[in-house]
Amino acid sequence: MNRLRTILLCGLTLLGLMLCTSGCQPNAQKNDHNDKQNSGISMGKLLAADDALLQYHQVSRDNRIEFPKDHLPHEGYRIEWWYITANLTTSEGEQVGIQWTQFRSALSPPDTQESSPKSAWATNQMFMAHAALTTQTKHYSAEKFSRSHPEFAHVSAVPFSIYLENWRWQSETQHPFPATLSVEEPEFAYQLELNSTAQWQLQGDQGFSVKSADAQVASHYYSQPYIEVTGTITREGKTVSVSGDAWLDREWSSQLLTQSQQGWDWFSIRLNAQQTLMMFRLRGQHPQDSFYSARLMFADGTGRNINSATHPDDIVMQPISWHTQNNTRYPTAWKIDIHSENIHIATQALNPSSEMSLSTTYWEGPIKISGSHSGKGYMELTGY
Amino acid sequence: MTLSLPLIYRSLGVFSRHYLKAPIQASAILLGIILAVTLLIGVKATNENAKQSYGNATELLSQRASFYLSNNDQTSIDEGVYFALRRAGIPALAVIEGIVSDPQGRSWKVTGSDIMAAVSIKPTSPPQTASPTSPPPSKSIPLERLLNGHAAVMMSASVVDRVNALAKGPLVLNDIPLELIAVEESLGLGNNMLADISFAQQLLQMPDQLSYIAVFFPKKTDVVDIEAQTNIIINALEDAKLDSRQISINRQDDGESLSALTNSFHLNLDAMSMLAFVVGLFIAYNGVRYSLMKRQKLFIQLLQMGIGRHNLLCALVVEIVLLVVIGSIVGFIMGLQLSQWLQPMVAMTLAQIYGAKLLPGLWQWQWFAQGLGLTLFASLAACWPLLLQLSRVPLAQGGQRQAQLMPFEKLFKRQAFAACLILATTALLFSITTQYKLSLLLLGLVTIAIPLLLPMTINVCVKLILPFMPKGIWHYVVAETKEIIAPLSLAMMAILLALCANISMNTLVGSFEVTLKQWLDARLHADLYIKPNPNAIPEINAWLQAEPKVSAIYQQWSTKAKLEVKTQSSVPINLVSRDIYSIKHTTAFKSPSTRSALFWQQFQQGQTVLISEPLSIKYQLNVGDRIKIDKLHNQSSKTSAAIQTQATPEFIISGIYFDYGNPVGEVIIAPSVWQQHALPLQPISLAVNYQGNIEALQQELITQQGLSSAHMYSQQSIKDEAIKMFTKTFSITVVLNSLTLMVATIGLFSACIMLTQARLAPLARLYALGVSRTQLRVMVTSQMMLIVLFTCLLALPMGAILGYLLINKVTLQAFGWTIAMLWDWPAYGRVVVIAMISCLVAVALPLYWQTRKPLISSLQQESL
Repeated sequence: MNRLRTILLCGLTLLGLMLCTSGCQPNAQKNDHNDKQNSGISMGKLLAADDALLQYHQVSRDNRIEFPKDHLPHEGYRIEWWYITANLTTSEGEQVGIQWTQFRSALSPPDTQESSPKSAWATNQMFMAHAALTTQTKHYSAEKFSRSHPEFAHVSAVPFSIYLENWRWQSETQHPFPATLSVEEPEFAYQLELNSTAQWQLQGDQGFSVKSADAQVASHYYSQPYIEVTGTITREGKTVSVSGDAWLDREWSSQLLTQSQQGWDWFSIRLNAQQTLMMFRLRGQHPQDSFYSARLMFADGTGRNINSATHPDDIVMQPISWHTQNNTRYPTAWKIDIHSENIHIATQALNPSSEMSLSTTYWEGPIKISGSHSGKGYMELTGY
Repeated sequence: MTLSLPLIYRSLGVFSRHYLKAPIQASAILLGIILAVTLLIGVKATNENAKQSYGNATELLSQRASFYLSNNDQTSIDEGVYFALRRAGIPALAVIEGIVSDPQGRSWKVTGSDIMAAVSIKPTSPPQTASPTSPPPSKSIPLERLLNGHAAVMMSASVVDRVNALAKGPLVLNDIPLELIAVEESLGLGNNMLADISFAQQLLQMPDQLSYIAVFFPKKTDVVDIEAQTNIIINALEDAKLDSRQISINRQDDGESLSALTNSFHLNLDAMSMLAFVVGLFIAYNGVRYSLMKRQKLFIQLLQMGIGRHNLLCALVVEIVLLVVIGSIVGFIMGLQLSQWLQPMVAMTLAQIYGAKLLPGLWQWQWFAQGLGLTLFASLAACWPLLLQLSRVPLAQGGQRQAQLMPFEKLFKRQAFAACLILATTALLFSITTQYKLSLLLLGLVTIAIPLLLPMTINVCVKLILPFMPKGIWHYVVAETKEIIAPLSLAMMAILLALCANISMNTLVGSFEVTLKQWLDARLHADLYIKPNPNAIPEINAWLQAEPKVSAIYQQWSTKAKLEVKTQSSVPINLVSRDIYSIKHTTAFKSPSTRSALFWQQFQQGQTVLISEPLSIKYQLNVGDRIKIDKLHNQSSKTSAAIQTQATPEFIISGIYFDYGNPVGEVIIAPSVWQQHALPLQPISLAVNYQGNIEALQQELITQQGLSSAHMYSQQSIKDEAIKMFTKTFSITVVLNSLTLMVATIGLFSACIMLTQARLAPLARLYALGVSRTQLRVMVTSQMMLIVLFTCLLALPMGAILGYLLINKVTLQAFGWTIAMLWDWPAYGRVVVIAMISCLVAVALPLYWQTRKPLISSLQQESL
C-alpha cells in the first residue's frame, strides 16, 4: 500500500512535476537522497493539501470497487500503482524475491487537460516502473520512466496489459490472470507466469483504506495475496527456473499522507497456506503518533481488519536489529504482535542489503517469519 | 662563479625600487604581456570550447547519443520506428526538427523531442574528469505544461529575453502563439528552442513523423561490440516488422566529421591569435629593452659594488619571469572574459555554416600553463641577447651614454637583409606548397620578415627627403627623426603588422564578397525556391505543374554519399543532381572554360560527373580523373556488400565548378543517371519561374499547400541571406583584427611615452635655445607622423602581398574557394587614417604631459 509515497517522491525529486502543480517546491528540494535523514521534513509534508490537490479526484467511502474496471488506471487521481512482490524458490532450492511495480502519476488535474488532444503524444500521465531481484547475497534493481503513450507505456484493457518499454505484464483476457510478467535488464531479468483463482481482497472498508487515525487521508486499495508463480530468472546471464507465490497490491489516491507522517514500514506476510497478513505502520512525528493497520486474509476472500484507531495497542511492531547501507540505517528485523489474532512473530530479511538505490531510495526485499507462525513475505521501509 | 641568493634578492629589491620610481616602464612590460596572453587565451578558449562541443555534443536536455537513426531517403522517419525501439527497451529519444516562421517572415528553428525520455535517459559513458557530471534533470522543467501538447517551447532564460525583445509581444510561429518557458542556462539549451514532441509535430506540421532517433547505448569502442549494438537495433526493428534497410543507422563519431569540417576555420582563428600574441610581445619586448637601457648606469653601479655578473643576470631573469607570471595571470583572466564575448560570435558562425552546437564554456588550467610557457619562452628568448650584451658592458664604461646612431644603422641593414632572405625563401616555397597548413606557416614567416624591413625603409625614406628640407629647425627635425627610429622601431613594427593584417583581411573579405555575389547571380535563376518538408514534395510538385502561371519548374535531388578516391578510402560528399537545364545554365565552371555538345552528351549518358572546387582541391582531383561513388552501383547487384563494391562503376570527372560556402564536397550527376540508381526519387527542393506576382504564389502555397513561409525563399532573400551569413562568418576575424590594431596602438602609446620621456633633455635644450613650446609640439608630432606615414607606405605593398597569399594560397587551399582579388582603396585609406589618428592620440598625450614640465627638471634628465 504505502508504496504510493515512493512514486510521489520519485516524481518529485527526479522530475519536479508535481511541485510545479502543487507548489510545494521548498519541501521537494529537501527530498534529496542526502536529506533523507533530515527528519525535520516529513514525507507527509510533501503531500500537503492545497488547491491544486483538490482539483484531482478524491477518494471516498462511497466509491465501490468493481472488476475488471478498477484494474485499469484512474487518471483523475494523482497517483496509482500496480505492485507485485514474490517469494520464489529456484530449482536448486535457493530463496529469491522479485519486485515489479508500475507507478502512474498525473502531471496535472483532470480538468486542465486540453479538451481534444491533437496528438497521441499529448498526455498528462507519466509512468515509472521499478524492478528488483533479491537473493541472499545480491540485490539487483532498476527503474524506467516514460510519458504515457499507447505504443510503449500504458495500461490497456483488452487484453489486460501494463507495460513500460520491455517490462510488461501481459494477460490474454481482460482479467489480470493468468498472465506473464517479464522484466529485462542487462544485469538481471525474469519471466514469470502468474495465475490466481482466489477472490480479490478489498483492504480497509470495502477497498477504502484509511491512512491516519483521524481518517483524514486514505486510498482505494485492494490486493491479491494468492498468486501462483512459475518461470525463470536470469542473473548476469545465468538462467534458472523458479516457482513460488506472488502478491499483488493495487492502490490509488490523490493524497495519502498527512503533513506530519514521516514514512512507513509495510509487510506482506504469508502466515500459512490459508492465512496471509498485510500490515503497516505509518510513522508520525513521535512514536505515539504512529498509525497501525493490518488485515488478516483468507484464501476464500474473507478477512479481518485491525487498526490502531479502533484497537489501540493491539498491534505492536518493534525493530530488533538494524542494518546500515549507504549511510542509512534500516530496521531489517522486527518483532510483530497482533494480540487479538494470537500472532507473535519475528521477521528477518533474506538480504539486509536490499536498498533500492534508485531516483528515490527505499528498502524493499523478501523476509522470513518465525514464531507463532513461520513463512515468508515482503517488507518495505521508507522515510529512513 | 657562484650564485648568491642574498645578492640576487638585494638586486631584486633595488629593481623594484626602480620600478616604483618609474612605473611606466613596468606597466609597459606588463601591458604587452597581458595583451598578448589575453588574445592568445581568448581565442584558444573559444576554439577549444568549440572543439570540445563537437565531441561532447548531447541531445538537448539529455545525454550523448551512441547511434542516430534516420530514413535512408532523407525524408522524415516514421515514429513507428521509435515505438519499436522503446518496446524493445532500447534507450532512445525521438527528435523532430524544422523551420517555422513568424508573422514578420523571420525563420526560427525549432527542435522537439520526447522530453520525458530526454531527461530520464542515463549517461552512456562514465563521466570524464574534464567535464563535470551532468546535473540531474532540473526541477525547472514544467513537464505538465509541455507533455500535454500545449503550445509551449523551452529556452534559456537569456534567449527568452532576446526573443521577447525581438518579437515585441507574444511570439507567434506558424500562426500559433507560443508560451515561452525560461529554463536555467545550465541545462545547456544554448540558442535552441525546444518543444515537447506532442506540440512540435503539430507546429512543424509533421504528424507521426520524426527527424531522427538518437539511441543511447553504453559507449563501446570495440568493433565487435558496436556491431552487436547495431544488431540489437536491427533486431528490434525486424521484430516490429519494419524494413531495417530503409533506416540508416549511423554511429556517433565523437565529432570527428565536424572537427574535420571546421579545422580550417579554427586554424585561421589560431593564426590570428598568434599574430596578436606576437604584436603583444613586441610591446613587452620594447618595454624590457627600454627599462634595461634606463638602468644601464644602475647595473654598472651594482657591478662596481661587487654584485657578480651572474647574480645580476640571474636577478634580471627572475624579474622577467615575475613580470611574465603576473602578466600571464591577468591576461589569462582577461582572455577568458574575451572568449565569453567571442563565443556567441563563433557559435553563430559554426551553427550557421556547419550546423554545430556549442556548449557552455569551460576552461582548463592547461591553457594557462601553455600561455605562460609560451610567453615565458618567447620573452626570455627575445631578451636574452639584451641581457648578455648588458652583462658584457665593461665596468669602466660608467654612466656614459652609448653612441646610438652608428650601430643601429648597421643593425637595420642586417635586419633588412634577413627580411629579404626570408621573403625570397618563402616566395620560393610558396610556389610549391599545396597544403594550407604549410602555407599558413609560410605566411607566418612573411609576417616576421615584414617588420624587419621597417627600420631600414624608414631610414632610407628619411634620408631621401632630408635634402628637400629647408635648413634650420626643419632640417633638424627630419635629421633627428632618424635617431628616434631605433627606439620606436619595435612599436612601429607592431603597428605595421597590425596594419598589414588589417589590409590583407579587408582585401580578402572584400574580394570574397564580390566573388560570392557574382557567383550567386550566376547560380540563382528561378524566382522562387521551395524546400518543404520532404514528405510534401510530390503534392507540391503536382500542384505547381498544374498551375498555369508557373513557367518552369526546376528540381534538385541530393543525398549523402561516399566518394572513393585513389588514396583516401572514402570521403563523405553530397551527391547532387538537378534538371539538365539548371545544370547547364547555372553551374559556374572553373574548368573546362568551354563546353562542347559532346561534353553534355557524355554527362547525360552517365559517363562523366562534375565535382565542386573544394572537393577537387582537397583531394587533388582534376578533370579526367576517375572516381567511384558508393551509392552509384548497378541495380542488379544489391544483394551483398562485397558484390556492390565490385560493381561500382567508375566515373570520369569532366568538369569542376565553383562552390562557395559549402563545407561538404559535392558531386553533380545527370538527372537521368540519378533515376537509374536506387537513389531517393523525390527532389529535396524545387525552384519555379512564375509569370506574375511572386508573393501571390507564395501566399497560395501557404494557403493551399500548407507550406510555411520559412520553406520558401525568393531569389533576393537567398542572396541577402547568403551575404548576411558571410558577413557573420567574417565578423570574428574582423573583430580579432581590430583587437590586434588596438593592441598595436596601445603599444605605440607606451613607446611614445617612454620615448618622449627619454627625449626631455634634448627638447629642453631646444626650448632653452628659443624654440617655443608650440613649435616643439609640432616638431615632435610631425616626426612621429612622418614615421607613421612611412610605416603605412610600407604596409600598403606588404598588406597586398599578405592579402594575395591569404586569397590565393591559404583560403584556396583551406576552403577550396577561388576568389578574384580586388584591391579596395577606400578601405586601405580608412585603415591608414585610423592608424594616423590613433598614433596622433598616442603621441599627443604624452607629449602634452611632458612639454608642460618645468624646464629645469627636463634639463636635469640629462644626468639620469
